Amino acid sequence: MDKLPPLHEPDAQDKRTRILWLLTVVLFVSLPHLLHVNIWITLLLLGVGAWRYALEYRNWGMPSAWIKVPLVFAALAAVGFTYRSITGVEAGTALLLVMLALKILETKTGRDLTVVSAICWFLMFAAFLREQQLWAIPYILFGVSLSVAALIQISRVGAVLPSRQVITKTAGLIIQALPIMLVLFFLFPRIPAPFWAMSTGGYSAQTGLSDQMSPGDISSLSLSDSVAFRVRFNGAIPPASERYWRGPVMTYFNGREWSWADRGEPIVSVEDLLVGGTYYEYELMLEPHGREWLLALETPVQWSQGKAYLSANLQLISQTPVQQRIAYTARSYQLARKQVPDVERHIQAMRYLPTGRNPETLAFALKLRNESSSDKDYLNRVLDMFRQQDFYYTLRPPRLGNNPVDEFLFTSRRGFCEHYASAFATLARAANIPARVVTGYLGGEVNPINNDLIVRQSDAHAWAEVWIDGNWLRADPTAAVAPQRVELGLDEALSDRDFDFRRNMRNTQLFHQAILSLDAVNAAWNRWVLAFGPEMQSDLLRNAGFDKPDMRDLVLLMAISLSLLMAALTYYLRFSIRSNKDPLLQIYETFCKKLAASGVTRHRSEGPASFAARASRLRQTDRPQIELITQMYIRLRYESVGSAAPTEELRQLTELVKAFEPTSG
Amino acid sequence: MKGLVETLRATLADIRNALRARSNEWILKRQGTDDSSVLLHRRRIYILPTRAGLLFATVALMLLIGSLNYANNMGFALTFLLTAVGLVAMHHCHGNLAGLRISFKQAKPVFAGDKAQFEFILDNNDALSRSQISAGLERTVLVCGDIRAENRAIFTLPLVTSRRGWIACPRIELSTTYPLGLFRAWASVHMDLPALVYPRPMDRLQTILRTSSEQGLSGFSLSGEDEFSGLREYRSGDSLRNIAWKSAASLGILLVKEYKEGGQMPLWIDWNQLAYPDTESRLSAMCRLVIDADNEQQIYGLRLPGVAVSPAKGHSHLHHCLRELAMFAPTKPSRS
Repeated sequence: MDKLPPLHEPDAQDKRTRILWLLTVVLFVSLPHLLHVNIWITLLLLGVGAWRYALEYRNWGMPSAWIKVPLVFAALAAVGFTYRSITGVEAGTALLLVMLALKILETKTGRDLTVVSAICWFLMFAAFLREQQLWAIPYILFGVSLSVAALIQISRVGAVLPSRQVITKTAGLIIQALPIMLVLFFLFPRIPAPFWAMSTGGYSAQTGLSDQMSPGDISSLSLSDSVAFRVRFNGAIPPASERYWRGPVMTYFNGREWSWADRGEPIVSVEDLLVGGTYYEYELMLEPHGREWLLALETPVQWSQGKAYLSANLQLISQTPVQQRIAYTARSYQLARKQVPDVERHIQAMRYLPTGRNPETLAFALKLRNESSSDKDYLNRVLDMFRQQDFYYTLRPPRLGNNPVDEFLFTSRRGFCEHYASAFATLARAANIPARVVTGYLGGEVNPINNDLIVRQSDAHAWAEVWIDGNWLRADPTAAVAPQRVELGLDEALSDRDFDFRRNMRNTQLFHQAILSLDAVNAAWNRWVLAFGPEMQSDLLRNAGFDKPDMRDLVLLMAISLSLLMAALTYYLRFSIRSNKDPLLQIYETFCKKLAASGVTRHRSEGPASFAARASRLRQTDRPQIELITQMYIRLRYESVGSAAPTEELRQLTELVKAFEPTSG
Repeated sequence: MKGLVETLRATLADIRNALRARSNEWILKRQGTDDSSVLLHRRRIYILPTRAGLLFATVALMLLIGSLNYANNMGFALTFLLTAVGLVAMHHCHGNLAGLRISFKQAKPVFAGDKAQFEFILDNNDALSRSQISAGLERTVLVCGDIRAENRAIFTLPLVTSRRGWIACPRIELSTTYPLGLFRAWASVHMDLPALVYPRPMDRLQTILRTSSEQGLSGFSLSGEDEFSGLREYRSGDSLRNIAWKSAASLGILLVKEYKEGGQMPLWIDWNQLAYPDTESRLSAMCRLVIDADNEQQIYGLRLPGVAVSPAKGHSHLHHCLRELAMFAPTKPSRS
């Protein structure tokens, strides 16, 4: 027999176990943040955690308000000072971590512990605002499991459970919760986001395209292997030299810096485009970059992204910044020109060069133009110059001074695509030829596993466009210097000196294979899990046989599925655990049934002793058996100690009941 | 400011208590009074979120809004897993209590001022072990523990007594917040269980001082003429005078000296021979005399207005006398 003991204060060991479980949760959920936030927050959290644990062991007192209150203000001020803000994802996460540390500092009661685990859930959510890679799944599963285990321990009155039992119980709860979670995930009505615009920030640190370009300021271009976007082609994949992915078009030049004149550019209607040549259809999944431009193969004429338009510079622009990963399909033609010529004012602006900057270049351009027969001839001579003279392609160019184009063309002669595009466009403008710089990506790698084209940040490229005979023509001066860059990609274009290590790594077959496999998994993850939204939800319902699925269908379907799951859970909890009844009770019930058959029925509320007394009165002849059986039953039932009645006596009782034949009344 | 907060808190507590009282009335009306053995059927189990559960729900709601706003699918996954865990925990909490059988075992009589001990048995006939089952009277949780699968547990609910007579066991509440503390499932059991409360035995010295020494107390001796016969363990109600303090100090347990019977004259403990102004004091003094007489193995009888217990001795006689004292109701105003 068990005993329900009176309530008592949990002992020191129990308290320690509880704190330990909770600190485990805290440590686990803050892992993805610890490398991102400022180092002092990491140290604060780890320090407070260790101190709180030690406090439990050493029996030190909790800190007084004199320490805590100034600490709270100091920590809040420190967050504000470090992040210059207390809103936004970065600062918000930091604030949560600091709050968590401070809460641990004063955690004493079960309620405090519950608050700590609630803060932990917010922290997990904050991690997904930064990124939602594949690791999110184990992170959610383990994070929630740990906090469930901690809740089991925290909510207990009295002694904590042994770890093994906690783990079993937690696993049971999570496994039973998973089907419900999946139903909610797929059927909870999704709505187009965001309904409350808030910058998630977080993209500022990412490398990638920018709205300005100043090659003279860069002395070392760092290469990021992070993915810019992935493309799946409907049909053939264009050759590498045709894969110019158009991004921000720079039209304004101040002698040093090219910049993108964003908004205010006129919109081009696709009907005004005259297209020709091969076309490509593809689906592009763009990683978020926090800016308005969309990437497309030159020249896009159809796209599925609703809130996007084509600017006069044939750049695809979204009306809202790309804050989430988006997917769109597009069709691009190799050749495209506007039927209505660009207005002269628009063209004129692209002849502009600031006076007094890069004088040597201007003089050289005038001289060369005079020697040339036409604009085209002049530009070919410029390309020949790059091709034949001593120009090098490198990612570690020298810094350039006040007249960067002069210095590049006549002194350093080292640079990467931006230097060449910038110099080329400057030379064109110097000869009064309208020119602009286009930034974007070139090439990309085909993943043989899923046939996706992976375009990385390191594929970023810049080229020029010039206005010749009433038409914009692409000119890629980098191709003149380092044709491999265009044909084969960046790695081939680099001299050995540039990035030995990088090349070696990339060339290791196994490593490369692993990278590509991982990327295929990531692509599938993005395509099927992360991209799940209102559209895919409608598709899901349509596949399930709904003609015109709307929100009502979703809610109905969700409610039905949830009810079924709940019923299954109730059934499971109720019947799977009801195994064999107590054998003693079964024997006694047989006895009662036999008596009932003879006409003496036991009332629901009648105890065994009073029933026996009544039965004996009514069945005088059976009195000895009735009394013996009842006595044995009562003794076994109410006096035996331990979980089961002694087997020998139980056997005897079984025999007695078996032999019992009451006379009928 | 502080006063306002206090007032607000008090008002909220009032509202909560009123709601609780109302719901308890409703439950009693719905279920009726119970037998001395009750199966906690699923329909008798009530469940509501706890404070922690409300916090949990609030967090889940905020995470849902955040996930919708950022269309963050991993945010949805997290939110929905938490929600699902909460729902599953609710079922576990409910199932943890359902199917138990509570049976009244006994309530031994106590002296007024002591705690009445209501003993119950909880039967768990399922292959599922029950964790964190709390039991208490009204809303106060008094005991809490686990019951293994196909097992039974005993528990005692103490109830403070102040006056002699019958005391009724209040509403019994069985509850659990297992597994996560997010929900509290409870069942109300209203058993009609009276426990007998004997009068509080009066302090010994006071009794003697107020007792007239000439009449009827010839067997009552202070002189220690009786022959010492041995030591036995202390029982509640033993006279302090007989405690063997020396042995107690050396052995660490209270031992009481036993004496062979002295005089053979039956001792009458008589209402009329006690000089107390009020009924309760008189009964209290008589209770003391009865206990002492029993301790000293006297043959004694009891006389109350309208009631007489003929002289005898032994355990059942003692309780017979105490019972008469506990239930004594003066039919006419006391003569004091």
